[in-house]
Amino acid sequence: MSTQTETEIPLRQRVAENPQPALVWAAIGAVLVGVELGAILQVVVAIGGVIVNLVPGDPGAALVTSLQESLKGIPTLVSREFIPNQGYWNGSEWVGTFLGLSPGQAWAVRFVVVYAYAFAVLGWLWDGYKRYRQYYRRADWTPRDDVVNRFRGHTWGQFGLVITIAFVVMAVFAPALGPTTMEQNILQPYDYEINYFDEESQTVETALVGEANIGSGSQGAGDENVAPMTYDDYGRFHPFGTATNGKDLFTQVVFGARISLTIATVAMGIAGIIGLSLAMITAYYKGLADLAIVLASDSIQALPVIMVLILMLVIFQNTWVRDLYDGAVLIILIFSLVYWPFIWRSIRGPAFQVSEQDWIDAAKSFGQTPGQVMRKHMAPYVFSYMLIYASLSLGGIIISVAGLSYLGLGITAPTPEWGRLIADGQQYVASPSWHISLIPGVLITLVVTGLNAFGDGIRDAIDPQADTGDEAAATGGGA
Amino acid sequence: MSTTSTEESKMTRETQETLLEVDDLKTYYEDGGLLNSNPVKAVDGVSFEITRGETLGLVGESGCGKSTLGRTLMRLEEATAGEVKLNGTDITTLSGADLKQFRNDVQMVFQDPDSSLNERMTVGEIIREPLDVHDWKTPDERRARVRELLETVGLQEEHYYRYPHQFSGGQRQRIGIARALALEPEFIILDEPVSALDVSVQAKILNLLEDLQNEFGLTYLFIAHDLAVVRHICDRVAVMYLGNIMEIGPADEMFESPANPYTHALLSSIPEPDPTVARDRITLRGTPPSPRDPPAGCPFSTRCPVKIRPDQYTDLDDDVWERIEVFREVLRERSRAELSLSDRVRKLIGRETVQAGMDDTLTELFGGLSVPVSVMDHLKEAADYAENGDEDAARAYLREEFGSVCDSERPDQLGVGDRGRLSLCHRHDEQYDEPAAVFETLVQ
Ligand code: SF4
Repeated sequence: MSTQTETEIPLRQRVAENPQPALVWAAIGAVLVGVELGAILQVVVAIGGVIVNLVPGDPGAALVTSLQESLKGIPTLVSREFIPNQGYWNGSEWVGTFLGLSPGQAWAVRFVVVYAYAFAVLGWLWDGYKRYRQYYRRADWTPRDDVVNRFRGHTWGQFGLVITIAFVVMAVFAPALGPTTMEQNILQPYDYEINYFDEESQTVETALVGEANIGSGSQGAGDENVAPMTYDDYGRFHPFGTATNGKDLFTQVVFGARISLTIATVAMGIAGIIGLSLAMITAYYKGLADLAIVLASDSIQALPVIMVLILMLVIFQNTWVRDLYDGAVLIILIFSLVYWPFIWRSIRGPAFQVSEQDWIDAAKSFGQTPGQVMRKHMAPYVFSYMLIYASLSLGGIIISVAGLSYLGLGITAPTPEWGRLIADGQQYVASPSWHISLIPGVLITLVVTGLNAFGDGIRDAIDPQADTGDEAAATGGGA
Repeated sequence: MSTTSTEESKMTRETQETLLEVDDLKTYYEDGGLLNSNPVKAVDGVSFEITRGETLGLVGESGCGKSTLGRTLMRLEEATAGEVKLNGTDITTLSGADLKQFRNDVQMVFQDPDSSLNERMTVGEIIREPLDVHDWKTPDERRARVRELLETVGLQEEHYYRYPHQFSGGQRQRIGIARALALEPEFIILDEPVSALDVSVQAKILNLLEDLQNEFGLTYLFIAHDLAVVRHICDRVAVMYLGNIMEIGPADEMFESPANPYTHALLSSIPEPDPTVARDRITLRGTPPSPRDPPAGCPFSTRCPVKIRPDQYTDLDDDVWERIEVFREVLRERSRAELSLSDRVRKLIGRETVQAGMDDTLTELFGGLSVPVSVMDHLKEAADYAENGDEDAARAYLREEFGSVCDSERPDQLGVGDRGRLSLCHRHDEQYDEPAAVFETLVQ
C-alpha cells in the first residue's frame, strides 16, 4: 500500500484519490451543521458584535443588531423556538406548545432532541476519526491507537466518559434544556408576563412571572410544594420541581452545571499549563530550578486550600475582580494558583523519568533547542499523566465551589450554583420539598464519580501495567 | 557526495591527518550534597588522538568513565579541564553558532535502541529531526534525504510512516544510525552500539558500520565493554580504568601482547577464540576504588597483580604479599563506608566468616600462612590503629611500610614498541621488570 510516491502525497490529494468515505462523512456533517445553522451563525455574529463593540464609535453596531434580528428567523432544530414548551391551557387545548402537546411532553421532546443531537455530533466526530484512520492516515499503526483501543475495552472509563459528556452537554445547551429561561424565570421575573388558565373563573388570565413564582415555592408543606415532574398552579411544568422561592429548579441546575464546569475546567486548564511547563523546566534543567519550584509549591501546598479561598474571597469582597462573571473569574484564579503545585507534583516523577531517556540526549546531541526538546520529546509523555490528575481533581474543584457557595461565598446570587441550591433546601430535606437539596447533591456526586471513572479509564488506557500508577507517581514526585 | 568523501578519506588516510585531539581532559561531577564530599572523577586526565578515517575503540569495565568521556566529547557533559580539539578548534568552550556547527559535524549512536528513539514519532520524523534543526535545504529535499538514508542503512522507504515499536532491536539501531548520518558528520561516537542486541544481529550492525565508514569516510570512536567486538572493528584501542587511559595502541598488537598489567588482566578474562593458544586466566580481586577517591599513585595500584614491591619485600612469599594487599583493601573499604567489615573480608577472600574484629581479620587473612615476624608486627600495628577507629592512620602506616612507587607516583604514559603504543605503568621504566615478564612468573 505504501509506495515511494504515496508517502509524499499531502492529505488533500489522498482524499481526492479515494473521496467516497470523506464525502459521506462531510455530507452527514453538513446535515448536522445545517439543522443548527441559525444558532451557529448567531454565535458568530455575537462574537462579531463583541469585536465591533471594541472599535471606538460603534460603527457597525446597527448592522450587527439587524443581522442578529434576521438570524432569529432561521429555524434551528435544538432551540426553544422550534420546540416550544411554554404555553397555557385555554380550557380545551394547549396553546403555544410544540404540536399542541402538554408543556411537560414538549419539554421532554426537546430534552431528548438536545441529547440526541449532541451525541450524534460526537458520534460523527468519532466516525471521522475512524474513517481517517482507515482510509487516509499514512501510518497504519500509531502508539495512540493502542491507547484508544484499550480505552474502548474499559467499561468503567466509558461510563465515566458518558457521564462527563452528559454534564458537558447540559452546560453547553443549558439555555435550550430548561423548561423556562434564566432571564424570564430567575433574573428578571417581574419583566415578563405569562398566561395561565384560572380554574375558578375558567378563563385565561395573565400574571407576572415573579408573582407566579411566589405562589409556587416549595417550602415543605403539602400545599406549598411543587414536586419534581409536576405542574404548578400556573400551568408551568417543573422537571425537578421548584426551589424555595418558586423558581424552576431544573433551569437553575443546568445553569449551575455551566458555571461549575466552567470554573473547574478553566481553573484546571490554567493550573495544568503552569504545572506542565514547570514540570518540563524542572525535569530538563534539574538542580536549582527544581529546588526553587519545590520550595514554591511546598509553601503553597502547606496552605489549607479552603482557608485560602475563603480569605481571598473575603479580601476581594468589594472589588471589581469579585464582580467579573459573578465572581467566577476570581475563583478560577485562586483555584489555578492553589492547584498547580498539585499537578506539578503529580507529573514531576514521570517528567523526570522521560528526561532520563536517551532520545533526549540524542536530540541535544544534534543541537535541538531546549524548548523543542521539552515540547516534542518530553511533554507528550507527561501530558497523559496530567490528564489523569486533572480529571481526578476536577471533581474536587466542583465540590469546593459548591462548598463555597453553600457558605455564601462563592458565586454571587442570583446566578444559580449547586452549592447554594443545596444550602437553600437544607432545612426541607426531611419534608416533601426534599428535592431542592437532594437533586443538586446527587448530581454533584454523579459528575464527580463520572470524572473519576474517566480518569481511571485514561490511566489504564495509557499504562495497562501500572494499576497503582497514581500513587507511585505522586509519591515519586514528592521525593 | 559519497564518491567525493571516499576519495577524501583515502587521501586523508594517507596523510594521517589528526581529526580529534584530546589533551588532559577531565570531567568531574560535583553531585555530592554532603560537606567536603569529593567530586566524582569520571574522566581524570585523558589524552589521545584520533586520525581521520580510523576507528578508535574505547574499552573498560562499566563505571570506568568511558561513557562519560564519550559524552564529554559530544558536549553532553561539560569538561572540567583540558582541551578537545576537532580539526584544530577547541570544542569544550564553543557556544552559539559555533556550537551548532559542531553539532552538525559530530553525531552519536546510543547504546539502547529502545530508549534512543522517541516512540511517539514516526521513523521519518526521527531521522528528519536533525535536518529540521539545522534547516537543511527544503522540506521536500529533507524527505527525499530521509528515504535515501533509510535505504543506506538497510531499511525500506515505506518504513517512513512506521513507529519504532514496530521494529526489532537491530532495525531500531539502524534507525539510530540513519539519524546519526543525516547531517553527513565526519565523526561519529558509537556508544556501545551493539551491546543491547542479539548476538546474531550484532555482526550485521557491525558490518553496516564498517560499510558506512568506507562509503562516507567516517571516523569512529567505538565505546564498548566487549573486547571481541572491538577487536573485530577497531584500528586502535584505548583501555580505560578509573578515568584513565591505561593503554592505547594498534588493536592487533595490543591483543597479541598486552603491555599494561590492566590490559593483561582484562584480556585474560575473555575466552580465547583460538583454543590452541593457552592463556592463563588472571582473576582480579576486589572492585575498582571509588572514583571520588582514586589512589594517589597508579590508578590500578589497588588491584594490580604485578605491582612493584619495595626492595625489602621482593622475596616475600607471593601469598603473603597478596594477603597484605587484601588487608589494605579491607581498610580502604572500611574507611569508605561503615559497612560490615566481615562482609567485606568474606567477599574478598571468598570465605564464610562471622562478625570479626581487627584481630580476627588478621587471623582470617594470615592464619594459614607463615608470615615473617617483622611483617606481622607491622600488620598488628596497623590493626591497632584501625581498632581505634583510625583507618586513615592505619592506611598511611601500611602505605609507608609496604607501598612502592606504584602507590606514590602516578606513572606516565610510556612508549611501548615502535607503533605508537603507550601504556600507563611504572614497569615500562628500565629499572623494573616488564609486566609481561612478571606475569610469566606469576602463572608458573
Ligand atoms: S604502575 Fe604499578 S600498579 Fe600500576 S599497573 Fe604498573 S605495576 Fe601495576
